[in-house]
Amino acid sequence: MVDWGDSGVIQVEQLTKTYGTTTAIRDVSFQIGRGEIVGFLGPNGAGKSTTMRILAGAIGATSGEATIGGLDVVGKAREVKAMVGYLPEFPPLYADMTVRSYLTYAGQLKGAERPAQAADRILSRVGLSQVAHRLIDHLSLGFRQRVGIAQALVHSPKVLILDEPSRGLDPAQRVEIRALVKELAAGDVTVILSTHVLSEVEAICDRVLIIHEGQIVTKGRLDDLAGTQVSLTVAHPSDDLVNRLHKVEGVVAVQDREDGRYIISARSDIRPEVARAAIDAGLLELSGGMNLEAVYLEATAGT
Amino acid sequence: MKVTLAIAGRELKSRLNTSVGGVVLALFLFLAGFFWFLSLNNYVAQSQSLVMNPYAASMLTLGDYLILPWFSNCMFFVLLVAPALSMGSFTQEYQQHTLTLLLTSPVSTGQIVLGKYLGLMGFASLMLLGTLHVPATLYYVADPDFGYFFGGYLAMFALMSASLSLGLFVSASTQSQMVAFLATLVAGLSLYVLSWLNPDPAGWISQLALATHIEDLLSGALRLSDMAYFLGFTLVMLFGCQQKLEGLRWS
Repeated sequence: MVDWGDSGVIQVEQLTKTYGTTTAIRDVSFQIGRGEIVGFLGPNGAGKSTTMRILAGAIGATSGEATIGGLDVVGKAREVKAMVGYLPEFPPLYADMTVRSYLTYAGQLKGAERPAQAADRILSRVGLSQVAHRLIDHLSLGFRQRVGIAQALVHSPKVLILDEPSRGLDPAQRVEIRALVKELAAGDVTVILSTHVLSEVEAICDRVLIIHEGQIVTKGRLDDLAGTQVSLTVAHPSDDLVNRLHKVEGVVAVQDREDGRYIISARSDIRPEVARAAIDAGLLELSGGMNLEAVYLEATAGT
Repeated sequence: MKVTLAIAGRELKSRLNTSVGGVVLALFLFLAGFFWFLSLNNYVAQSQSLVMNPYAASMLTLGDYLILPWFSNCMFFVLLVAPALSMGSFTQEYQQHTLTLLLTSPVSTGQIVLGKYLGLMGFASLMLLGTLHVPATLYYVADPDFGYFFGGYLAMFALMSASLSLGLFVSASTQSQMVAFLATLVAGLSLYVLSWLNPDPAGWISQLALATHIEDLLSGALRLSDMAYFLGFTLVMLFGCQQKLEGLRWS
């Protein structure tokens, strides 16, 4: 029976996938709750696509367990696939079909109730109405990507797995797709998306999973994880100040830029603590903000 | 079943919409038509040469001297065009990354393979329908034995089924359309003429050969063993194809 409880619409336990002697992912575990948007980050080849392919049912895991809506993705593959929309890394498009006929076909495959009407509905929602009768072969990269996103949505899935959804999109199209994803999540659709665009994650994701060399190295809410890079200027620089800054909880690095200027990298927003530590040194200026990039680079250091 | 038919419809339409399908259809109909013309010419020439010999002329039946030779030639055209029809069935899915759409839809690999097979057989049926002018014109001018046409079309349909299922299996086993075409062509022809290795019709090599069972059907003998052979051959190939797809998921 499908379980849409708040705790873990997607549950992944100790998932491992090996190709011959190569381990693509190892002991990957995480949970994603209903209506959450989770950003899946990591360098190329880290295992993002492999994890997403396993969740979507395209490939099987070597060991471990993954459930969606409480159903095992292998044991109850058909039921799981019916409620999952999946955009792979390379959109699965038939070049010889028109956009409308392709989406109707996708709707038939995915068990949409009225495939033709479902295709029409998604055409307008993803902004494809004006190219509905064009051959996919004749579409630009951006439109092709949108057709790929549309096929993932055609059967109104409860879970959306998007592998680099913004690939090939121009800035305006990216904003549109972000708005669409947020709207879907507001309607209780659970979303996991991978991307290399960190600003995209900051814009729409609630939580982040960072995978590196096949293992989850960092996970948590964006507010908790996103690091801070603070620029501090004081009138009386000293080693004592640097020591005090290092002692502030969450500080990762302190760079001395001379003339009383310091750049402080931290895992969380440490501006109040930095201000208190620097007040005796003659605080002149304190600026900066959240910076997911710092967290990402630290988590994936060594690549 | 609805989703299987959707896959079959997509497979059929993709053959009708693309140049490969058009070329295959045109080639088959041209070869079948041309060889019908040659067979007819040959039959007329033989008839004329026997005009002074009524006994020999009576032995020159439409069935044995016109219809059978035409169907025998058509069998080789089937072996030639079937690989061209099936070569893209899975290789194109691999190249366009569209197999992911099928594998992540609530559809079993068995349904995928069956849908593709039915789509190809639909196209093959259209090809066979395109040759119906042959019996139509012959019935218009003469009164040939219906059994010859029934056996001939049944044999063509059975050979289409065997060749296309073989082609589907090969197509699922390679990423290259050219390799799929050549491998299916060579395998099909080899299996057809396997009986040349051992002329004993009861021997197991002859029984494995496609030609042995095709000749049975062409002779008008509707044997259960021949039908079981073609059904079994098709099922084994489709099962192999389905296993290939499952293997992709777990490799």
